[in-house]
Amino acid sequence: AQEKFTLRLAETWGPNFPIFGDTTKNFAKLVEEMSDGRLRIRIDSSNKHKAPFGVFDMVKAGQYDMGHSASYYWKGKVPETLFFTSMPFGMTAIEQYAWFYYGDGMELMQEVYAPQNMLSFPGGNTGIQMGGWFRKEIKSLDDLQGLKMRIPGFAGEVFAEVGVSPTNIPPGELYTALERNTIDAVEWVGPALDLRLGFQQIADYYYTGWHEPATELQYLVNKKTWEKLPSDLQTILKTAMRVSAYDMLVLSQHENAKAWANIKKEYPDVQIKNFPEDVFQAMYDANKKLLKEAAGKNDLAKRIVESQEEYLEKTRAYTDISERAYLNTMAEVE
Amino acid sequence: MIGIIMFGVALVMLMLGFPVAFTFGGVALFFGIYAEGMELFAFMPFRIMSVMQNTVLMAVPLFIFMGVVLQRTKLAEQLLTSMGRLFGGLPGGLAISTILVGALLAASTGVVGASVVAMGLISLPVMLAHKYDKRLSTGTICASGTLGQIVPPSIILIILGDVLGLPVGDLFKAAVWPGVVLIGLYIIYILVLTRLKPETAPAMPVDPGRSRKQEVISALIAIIPPLALIVVVLGSIFSGIATPTESSALGGVGAVVLAIIYRQFSFRMIWDAAQDTVKVTAMVFAILIGATAFSMVFSYTGGDYLLEDWLHMLPGEQWGFIILAMAVILILGFFIDFVEISFIIVPILAPVAEAMGINMLWFAILIAMNLQTSFLTPPFGFALFYLKGVAPPEVKTVDIYKGIIPFIAIQILVLALIVIFPEWFGMSATY
Amino acid sequence: MRWIIKLDEGLARLSTFCGWIACIAMILMTANVFYDVVARYAFNSVSIGMQEMEWHLYSVVFLLGIPYALRNDAHVRVDVFYTNWSNTTKAWVNLIGAIIFVIPFAYLIANYGYSFAVDSYNMGEGSGDPGGLPNRWIIKAVIPFAAFFIATAGLNMVTFALRVISGEKSYEVEHSGGDLA
Ligand code: NA
Ligand code: NA
Repeated sequence: AQEKFTLRLAETWGPNFPIFGDTTKNFAKLVEEMSDGRLRIRIDSSNKHKAPFGVFDMVKAGQYDMGHSASYYWKGKVPETLFFTSMPFGMTAIEQYAWFYYGDGMELMQEVYAPQNMLSFPGGNTGIQMGGWFRKEIKSLDDLQGLKMRIPGFAGEVFAEVGVSPTNIPPGELYTALERNTIDAVEWVGPALDLRLGFQQIADYYYTGWHEPATELQYLVNKKTWEKLPSDLQTILKTAMRVSAYDMLVLSQHENAKAWANIKKEYPDVQIKNFPEDVFQAMYDANKKLLKEAAGKNDLAKRIVESQEEYLEKTRAYTDISERAYLNTMAEVE
Repeated sequence: MIGIIMFGVALVMLMLGFPVAFTFGGVALFFGIYAEGMELFAFMPFRIMSVMQNTVLMAVPLFIFMGVVLQRTKLAEQLLTSMGRLFGGLPGGLAISTILVGALLAASTGVVGASVVAMGLISLPVMLAHKYDKRLSTGTICASGTLGQIVPPSIILIILGDVLGLPVGDLFKAAVWPGVVLIGLYIIYILVLTRLKPETAPAMPVDPGRSRKQEVISALIAIIPPLALIVVVLGSIFSGIATPTESSALGGVGAVVLAIIYRQFSFRMIWDAAQDTVKVTAMVFAILIGATAFSMVFSYTGGDYLLEDWLHMLPGEQWGFIILAMAVILILGFFIDFVEISFIIVPILAPVAEAMGINMLWFAILIAMNLQTSFLTPPFGFALFYLKGVAPPEVKTVDIYKGIIPFIAIQILVLALIVIFPEWFGMSATY
Repeated sequence: MRWIIKLDEGLARLSTFCGWIACIAMILMTANVFYDVVARYAFNSVSIGMQEMEWHLYSVVFLLGIPYALRNDAHVRVDVFYTNWSNTTKAWVNLIGAIIFVIPFAYLIANYGYSFAVDSYNMGEGSGDPGGLPNRWIIKAVIPFAAFFIATAGLNMVTFALRVISGEKSYEVEHSGGDLA
């Protein structure tokens, strides 16, 4: 009989966290079926390992064989991990997948993770994330000055550059803090997940996204684990990761559309807003500046930023004459 | 099965009187190494780190500090005895005051370790000094200290909102009436008990030299400063100045300001208060760390899968399902902490309930009421340990175990009322 | 016996030292949170670094408080039988408990906590949020440090128990957090 393997996977999310949790369950099911039971995945959610942001270290140390998380959470540990989730004003999901699978994305990502004894693979996309819930309308750059917003990570740095005060509020107190104006705005994910936290009940302005145009989650695999698997199981693992990642993008689209229809019907006060042009321009410039700083840190960072910029230019030129042209046409005839 | 045996062993070991926190940790150690090897404990730094980064728990030291300062400056005593005087010759006044103050604190914090310890520091010495029955005193404090779990804002409701996918705001609104009814029934219980057994809660001595009117006026004046402090804490949350956690720091600073106004302030007093705070805080967190080791071993040895299997055997008919589900959560609450229950058990029950057309909001409130009780049920009710940790030596664990029983009974009664008459609480059982 | 008394008192000083640091952290933490609230509300100024400092201080309070509370016997016990026992019996409970529960538990946390902190140091880990604090290894190192002092406090329980068994000390004086309430 052939050797059987069970891999333990730690995910950053709680059990039954919609969409994200569905992705790992789907992955585990695919692996088991494709390998005819030779390879099984045991998923431990955050309620079990209690370390949502320890996934990186636990997979690195081999306490878990695999992880499911988001690369930009590890920015404080390895700065170059930042680039593999989604960048402000960066690529859309389809563009970014093209960069990963047919551009240099995957190779660069493995280069970043190799010194950490891990492999990293795309782990599912949320699609474009919404720009956040605001209690007051943002009419100009002035309205952003001193605005207290829950916005973590790199996007928070961009917001900080244009005058926002990024603020840390534990998730459990976010609703109360927004309701009582302790903070003015909250960035979360998109309709399907935001709806659960109830922000639509207390904030009327829902801004469109720019800061995470295609948030890609990640699978992490411990290198030793990877190497001990026979090559057919490695292929099964890779295929299941890729299929489940793709499926998450599709599921996100489906669930967000459903949730948005729901919000529109039950909370007619909620208005969709774009940030005004001067705000976008300022954020665009701030992002450029910060990216330049990030790229200046070392050669690897520089190569990643350049690769993304070059790829974006090329791929966007095609998006412009295809998807964008089509959507524009549709907008005219409707 | 190892998990189940481990609970039994922990129970026996606890009886030996070794510190609770290290009994949990030590028992977990033996079972963990036996079942999984030493490496299992490589997870401990991660678990400790997540306690460190759980900033909501900062309310524990901050509220305790407020409580200690209020107690050292005798302002807490002044608040409670004055409130008690307002009840005149009526016995039980202090206990009712404790419940009311506890309810106010509950509206600001949802952390049991914070509110039970703070209430224990503030009101237990006062009640004991006025010859209150030990059981009544401790029961009142534990019950009012855990009110924060149902009175919004509340961590249980937020976690349930997340697990069940319900908007937090709806849950908060739905929890208000059950909370109010609970507080009302606690007070009625005390009124009835003191009518039957006045010696358990003697009335405050009436100063014969003063008229009732004078008495009431002087009591009202005495209440103002400490009550103002509570108003500041609550007001800062409602006005958006501070998050609930941060409000506890305003409470601590406010207590120091009061001490200055009342000429009770000294650097010595602050240092002593900090020492007391550190000791009690360490007691609470050592239990949390011991318990996290315990739940780690429980789940990594398959305890969570075992529970899942059992739950899948619940009946498929609505009333049988509700009653058994509630009974299961209540019993598990004796042994397992509420976060585990919320994350392991609720997701199994929820789809079944949803398929039966049960109103999920109602179901969530039932679970929240039930989980609140889990902090109070012997032998593993955390609120009981916390109170014991700040109680004088003459208050025995057994007193606390016995004292809480009537209050658990009241909680079960309210739970039953919400099950049978959801419309009284502004809800419906089905969609 | 003389050296046990010396050791006992020396170990006690370690725990007192931990308590001293925890008390300072406690006062700083209150001031820190208060400052952050006032700065945000009155001056619209938010510093994530200062916000992170809150949990750094709070972690020091409870982690270093644990050995301090051990020495002061402030950890809660279930006293169904314990209070009625003689000093000698209590001493044996504490002695055995410290050896089989406290010290191994602290040892494992110190051991794994050490690599946890070293890993963070090697990566140069810092906060990932705008304006957050660098050098996360410092706060992570508090875990093995506290565990080390919990172990010494456990050893201290043993030395104290030996003094009680020899009849030179008793538990009545020090027992319980009763002096708090
Ligand atoms: Na987001
Ligand atoms: Na509350």
